[in-house]
Amino acid sequence: MEEYSVIGKRIPRVDGRVKVTGEARYAADYSMPGMLWCKMLRSPYPHARIVSIDTSRAEKLPGVKGVLTGKDFNGWTWGWMPKTRDEPPLAVDKVRYLAEAVAAVAAIDEDTAEEATELIKVEYEELPGVFDPEEAMKEGAPRVHDYVKNNLSWDFHMDFGDVDKGFGEADLVREDRFETGRVITGYLEPPAAVALWDSGGITIWAAKQSPYFVYRHLAACFNLPLNKVRIIQPFIGAGFGGTKNDSLAGDFCSVLFSKRTGRPVKFVYNMHEVLMTCRRRHNMIIHNKMGMKKDGIITAMQSKVIADGGAYTAIGPLTMYLTGSISTLPYKLPHFRHDAYRIFTNNPIGAAMRGHGVTHTRFAAEIQMEMMAEELGIDPIEVRLKNAITAPYETINKVTVHTCGLKEGLKTLSENPKWKKRSGGSPPEGPLSHGVGISGTAYLGGARQRGHQSCGAVVRLCEDGTIDYLTGATDCGQGSDTVLVQIVAEELGLGVEDVDIKRVDTAVTPCDAGSYGSRVTVLAGGAARNAARDVKRQLAEVAARNWEVDPGDIIFKDQRVYVKGEPEKAMPFRKLAQVACYAGSGAVIIGRGYSQYGIEELDFDKGIGNAGTSYSFTSQLTEVDVDLETGFVKCTDMVIAHDCGRPLNPINVEAQNQGGAIQGMGQAMYERFAMDLGKTLNANLADYKMPLSTDVPNIELIDIITDDPNGPYGAKEASEGSTVSSPPSVVSAIHDATGIWFKEQPVTPEKIVMALKKKRE
Amino acid sequence: MVTFYRRLPKMGYVKPGSLEEALELLEKNPNGRYRVYAGGTDVIPKLKGRVIQSPEILVDLKGVSDLDHIDFDEQKGLYIGALATVRSVETSPVIKERYPILSQAAGSIASIQVRNRGTITGNICNAVPSADSAPALLCLDARVLLYSKNGGERTVDITDFFKGPGLTVLQPNEILREINISASPENSRSVYIKLSPRSRMDLAVVGVGVLLTKTNGTFRNVRIGLGAVAPTPIRALKAEAMLEGSEVNDDLIINAARTASEESRPIDDHRASAEYRKMMVEVLVKRAIHQCL
Repeated sequence: MEEYSVIGKRIPRVDGRVKVTGEARYAADYSMPGMLWCKMLRSPYPHARIVSIDTSRAEKLPGVKGVLTGKDFNGWTWGWMPKTRDEPPLAVDKVRYLAEAVAAVAAIDEDTAEEATELIKVEYEELPGVFDPEEAMKEGAPRVHDYVKNNLSWDFHMDFGDVDKGFGEADLVREDRFETGRVITGYLEPPAAVALWDSGGITIWAAKQSPYFVYRHLAACFNLPLNKVRIIQPFIGAGFGGTKNDSLAGDFCSVLFSKRTGRPVKFVYNMHEVLMTCRRRHNMIIHNKMGMKKDGIITAMQSKVIADGGAYTAIGPLTMYLTGSISTLPYKLPHFRHDAYRIFTNNPIGAAMRGHGVTHTRFAAEIQMEMMAEELGIDPIEVRLKNAITAPYETINKVTVHTCGLKEGLKTLSENPKWKKRSGGSPPEGPLSHGVGISGTAYLGGARQRGHQSCGAVVRLCEDGTIDYLTGATDCGQGSDTVLVQIVAEELGLGVEDVDIKRVDTAVTPCDAGSYGSRVTVLAGGAARNAARDVKRQLAEVAARNWEVDPGDIIFKDQRVYVKGEPEKAMPFRKLAQVACYAGSGAVIIGRGYSQYGIEELDFDKGIGNAGTSYSFTSQLTEVDVDLETGFVKCTDMVIAHDCGRPLNPINVEAQNQGGAIQGMGQAMYERFAMDLGKTLNANLADYKMPLSTDVPNIELIDIITDDPNGPYGAKEASEGSTVSSPPSVVSAIHDATGIWFKEQPVTPEKIVMALKKKRE
Repeated sequence: MVTFYRRLPKMGYVKPGSLEEALELLEKNPNGRYRVYAGGTDVIPKLKGRVIQSPEILVDLKGVSDLDHIDFDEQKGLYIGALATVRSVETSPVIKERYPILSQAAGSIASIQVRNRGTITGNICNAVPSADSAPALLCLDARVLLYSKNGGERTVDITDFFKGPGLTVLQPNEILREINISASPENSRSVYIKLSPRSRMDLAVVGVGVLLTKTNGTFRNVRIGLGAVAPTPIRALKAEAMLEGSEVNDDLIINAARTASEESRPIDDHRASAEYRKMMVEVLVKRAIHQCL
């Protein structure tokens, strides 16, 4: 195997120093002379008709430079698909969730803008709301969108093989109801932007993990050609999907205010506003039915998913697609049927989040599989090994897997002393009961959506031998900037210090879909490699002419260039760059590349084909101590055997796996939005319980190297995989400690105590 | 109207240099238009969140010198000044040695950064039912010294101090100058147990403090303080009476814990159900008593 110089090395993050020192500027740090502040007026009702809006008093307040209402956007709406464009920048005739933006004010400072919002008089006619998706599906339920019957936002169906036949062949069939929680995405940097409209069009410095989505939204909303929309991406303080892959009221209003006033306009949502109004993970109910032979072989699975979509569709169709299309991994399913319903309610909007779609149905299937194995007296790892796929593999819905390290991961965990000392239900000493759980899951990397998938890179050689690398990809904290720089450096035989990554500026950088679906390393990484190779090809030609050798014999390594087998023919890379740039009338060396992975057909309506470019496999062992009297769970240890193909930067892969696993643990044990009639009762980070550093277990990570052919240097995804593997592993461990299967997330101390009480009675 | 966390509202701000100056100011405060604060870890977020009405003047006590004392005297006991931070109470050697329950309770509040800023007196003046220092102070029979202009001074037992969620007996013209705690009974043992969803830096769902002395196999000087299970922090007086003077035995401890649970009057909220809280009072009182033996 090839020896890499930069790839696979523990290289510190290229953005680490500026972030730690505070030099890195985030969207909220931007400020300009003459800048106005934009603030929203938000609805006090979750569901109401807007009868009238009187903005006159707000407009008269000194310092106010403009007021907008829904009508100012002339009926424009946006959405993820042409037929789901149901969300207006500001509510027009109706509000559909509590604190939906109804009007906006631009003023000379924040206090004035806020004061002015309070002077806007809105007359509402309150409507009966609907907050439970199962209620909302019923005939006669209040309609969130008047034209949508039974509040069906989106449905998605898959039917492969013959599930009835499969259940008929089974020795054991179980049906269970599972539920996953309403979960915060969890970024610390709130949405913010500064927008400027001038004769050049729109320029906006915005906190986005997918700037090119907003680029298209703004062009469409303001009827501008794309070359008049310029999104400049600052440093991003995390995203995790949903809100930051999308546009929001503040973006549209700031731009329109700037158009009207000629002044830069800024908004920053605060965390309270984020937690009340921004996109969150869908809450899902999963009715799962599984058939199993006595020996543990799964014969069929059928899932019915009901998702609380909230007030608008957003990216929901993709969420629904992912709940089913990836259910056929990582265990062989000869027969599978899936019916998914995304339902409108008067709750805040459900959207994408790390582990998108997959975390819900995989949790249900993993737990159910283990429940059935338990009934049949089969070891939890054994049942997984029996059903696990091996590569190459094509699922019944034509998901193709080229590499799979699941079995190797599970076997590694089965050898672990932590697994071997598993109690298997022996009684605890005192109130503390120890438990060990397991899971084995899959996630897609290099995600593909419908529509525009382009992903390019430009590598510019500077005459001193340094490199400007232009990418449309966004590092929202996952470390992709470092990995992409490593790729460019590796190809050119340079160090990471020789390559400078230019962050997204849509006027300059090539188009890219942004950060979601674990796509950056796989797809933007492929583009970066191709662009660097383009530069290398051009330079090799120059060098070959110089030495009168074949370009294929030119080697780039250790900041030097030499001829294979003729070490005396050598020069520093810098020297070759000068020779190449000063040749003739002035050569300019620019390399370009785009990703060519994952371009097969995908049938989005039927759930056939690859939504990902490759698939990661995660096996996770979790240890917990459960206090049987208080229900308090301390997660003490995790061992994660993860197949990401090949870690290009081991530090990053470790951090991503740790972060994903902790986020998944939070979802399994602590996190939920407490809701009452559309109102989020715990919209603050004291009452919304994300795990803190003191709650984090020891995490041991094991890389399973599989070298996938569809990724740069064999890489697949890392991080969303462990977000998916963590909840079932934690719940499996809690079961081991308590003897109880918990089917609803989060498994809180109170739920544990009440279930133990019920068991005793 | 949906209002989010904002910058501070516009209001006056005064930082008196002495307690007299501060008390003089408060004499003009019959309607509570002035609001006194020390660390600000409760008041400032409430003002920013528009949870409370903004005062006409915010009176910052941090300019008053000699108010951050933690003094101990064998006869008079312990004095904790209004500006003594939670962290200084937590780490005070004399408190650790003589009143470990208070050090422990102080150490369970929020994070080190917040404890370096907030004060123990602020923790009780804020008067949330879940205030961690309250069960400890209840167990220690603490008294609070309230001052007003012209040498006005009164002493209130901590059991009489709390009036309801966010309410105390403190008058608009008064400042809680210090907390006084007598020397603990000889050989007493004490513990504060806090139950919260996360292991640290979290709000108490239930807080239980127990102090007792075991003398010749019998319970003496029993105090049980409960937090977050009633409109104010409370003593479990019936449970204390059951134990006081009785011979130590497991059945009695179980019964006392159950009685304490019955004395609690928790509510259902998004943090926990009343039923769970009652069950946890029983579990934690039992544990705390055992830990003190």
